[in-house]
Amino acid sequence: MIIEVKNLKKAYGDNVVLKDVSFNVQEGEVVCIIGPSGSGKSTLLRCLNRLEEAQAGEINIFGDDILKTHSLDKFREKIGMVFQHFNLFPNYSVLGNMTLAPLLTKKMSKNEAVKKAEALLDKVGLLDKKDAFPSTLSGGQKQRVAIARALEMNPQIMLFDEPTSALDPEMVGDVLSTMKELADEGMTMVIVTHEMAFAKEVADRVIFMDGGYIVEEGAPEEIFNNPTSDRCQEFLSRVLNH
Amino acid sequence: MNEFISLFIKYLPQLLSGLQMTIAIAVLALFFGVIIGLVFGLMSISKNKLLSGIATFYVGLIRGIPVFVLAMYLYFGIPALLGFTIPAFNAAIIILAINSSAFLCEIFRGGIQAVDFGQMEAARSLGIPYRQTMTHVILPQAVKIMVPSIMNQFISTLKDTSILSIITVRELMMNSQIIVSSTFEPFYIYTYAVIFYLIMVTALTVLARFIERRMKYDHRG
Repeated sequence: MIIEVKNLKKAYGDNVVLKDVSFNVQEGEVVCIIGPSGSGKSTLLRCLNRLEEAQAGEINIFGDDILKTHSLDKFREKIGMVFQHFNLFPNYSVLGNMTLAPLLTKKMSKNEAVKKAEALLDKVGLLDKKDAFPSTLSGGQKQRVAIARALEMNPQIMLFDEPTSALDPEMVGDVLSTMKELADEGMTMVIVTHEMAFAKEVADRVIFMDGGYIVEEGAPEEIFNNPTSDRCQEFLSRVLNH
Repeated sequence: MNEFISLFIKYLPQLLSGLQMTIAIAVLALFFGVIIGLVFGLMSISKNKLLSGIATFYVGLIRGIPVFVLAMYLYFGIPALLGFTIPAFNAAIIILAINSSAFLCEIFRGGIQAVDFGQMEAARSLGIPYRQTMTHVILPQAVKIMVPSIMNQFISTLKDTSILSIITVRELMMNSQIIVSSTFEPFYIYTYAVIFYLIMVTALTVLARFIERRMKYDHRG
C-alpha cells in the first residue's frame, strides 16, 4: 500500500469539505477521482501532499504518516504534483523550471540535471522548447512541461489536479496521451479529472465523491456501466449525455 | 541673468558638497531601509501571528509619524531622555531608514502577495523549502511588480533629506539656507536647489524606466 488515507476530515471554518474519507492506493495503480464541483475531490488530492492541512485522520504514504512528519520537503520530492493552471515559473526557461528543484534540493550536478531534463522533454515531445520561456508556450505545452518538471524529481507518486480543465479542447489530447504513457510505464497516479473517457480507459479504479464523502469506488467498468448509488447515476447521466 | 550664473559659480563648491551629503544620506538610509523593510515585509506575511502582528504594529506606528516629527524625536527627544548625543549624520540615516522601511515593508508585502499563490504551491510541491522558494521563485517575480513603487519610495526619501536641515545636517537644503543667509538672494539660491533636486529625481526616474525594461518578461505562467 503506497497511500493509505484513514478517516480524513477537513473544514474551512464552518464549511466541512471532507467529512470522513478513507481510501488506499496500491503501488503502480492509477486512480481517478470524479464527482461534481464542490465535492471535495481537489481538496482531497491537495491534502495528500499537505498543500491543504487536514484537521483529523491519517495519511500514510510509503508507510509514514505525513500529517506528523518533520521532513515534509523530503516527502514532497517523492510526490509529483500537476496543477490545473500549470504554475510554471515565468522567470525561468523550460530547462530552468525543470532543473531548479533538483539543483536546490538534491546533490545533482547541473550537467546531470540538464541531461535528465532534456531526456524528459524529448519524451513529452518538447525538446525544441527547452530554452523557451513559459509565456511563449501554448497551454498544452505548458502542462506537458509541468509534468516533465514533476518527473525530473523522480517521484514515486504523481498527483494530477484537473490537469486538462484549463486547456483549449485541441490541446487536451496531447496532455492525456502523455499521462497515459506515464500510466503504462507503471507510475502510481491519483488524478482528479472531468475527462470521463480518459478515466474509463486509463484508470485501474475510479472513486466517485460527492458532498465530502467517497460515495462509490470500483473498477471503471463497474462505476461507468453499473453505478449503484443514485447520486453517481445522476452525476454520470449529466456528464455523459450531452 | 549674469548674476544668476556668477552666484552659481561662486557657490557651486558649497552646493556640491551639500549635494554629496544628500546623496550619501539617501543611499545609506535606503540601503538600511530596504533591509529593515524586507525583514518586516516577510514577517507581515508570516503565518506566525506574533511576527505578523509586530510587523503591522511597526508599520502603523512609523507610518503615522511625520518625518519632521520623527527627526526631532530621534535627534533631540530620545537623546535628551537617555542622556546621550548622536552625530547628526548618523541620526539622519537612522531617521530616513526607519521612515522608508515602513513604506517599503508595505511595498514588499503587497508585491509578494501579488505573485500568484500557485507559484508557491508548485515550488513547495517539488520539495523546495520555503526560504529557497522565496529567494528563487517568489521574490524575483515580486521585485518586478514592485520596481515602480520602490522607485517612488526612493524618490520620496531622496526629497525627504531636505527636512534634515532642521537637525543641522549639511545637505543640499541646509547649505542653500546658509548661502542665502549671507547673500540675501533666496530666489537664485533656492532655484539652484530646485534644479539639483530635479536632476537627481529625473536621474532616478530614468534609472527606474531602464530597470523596468530590463526586467520585462511576460508575467503569465
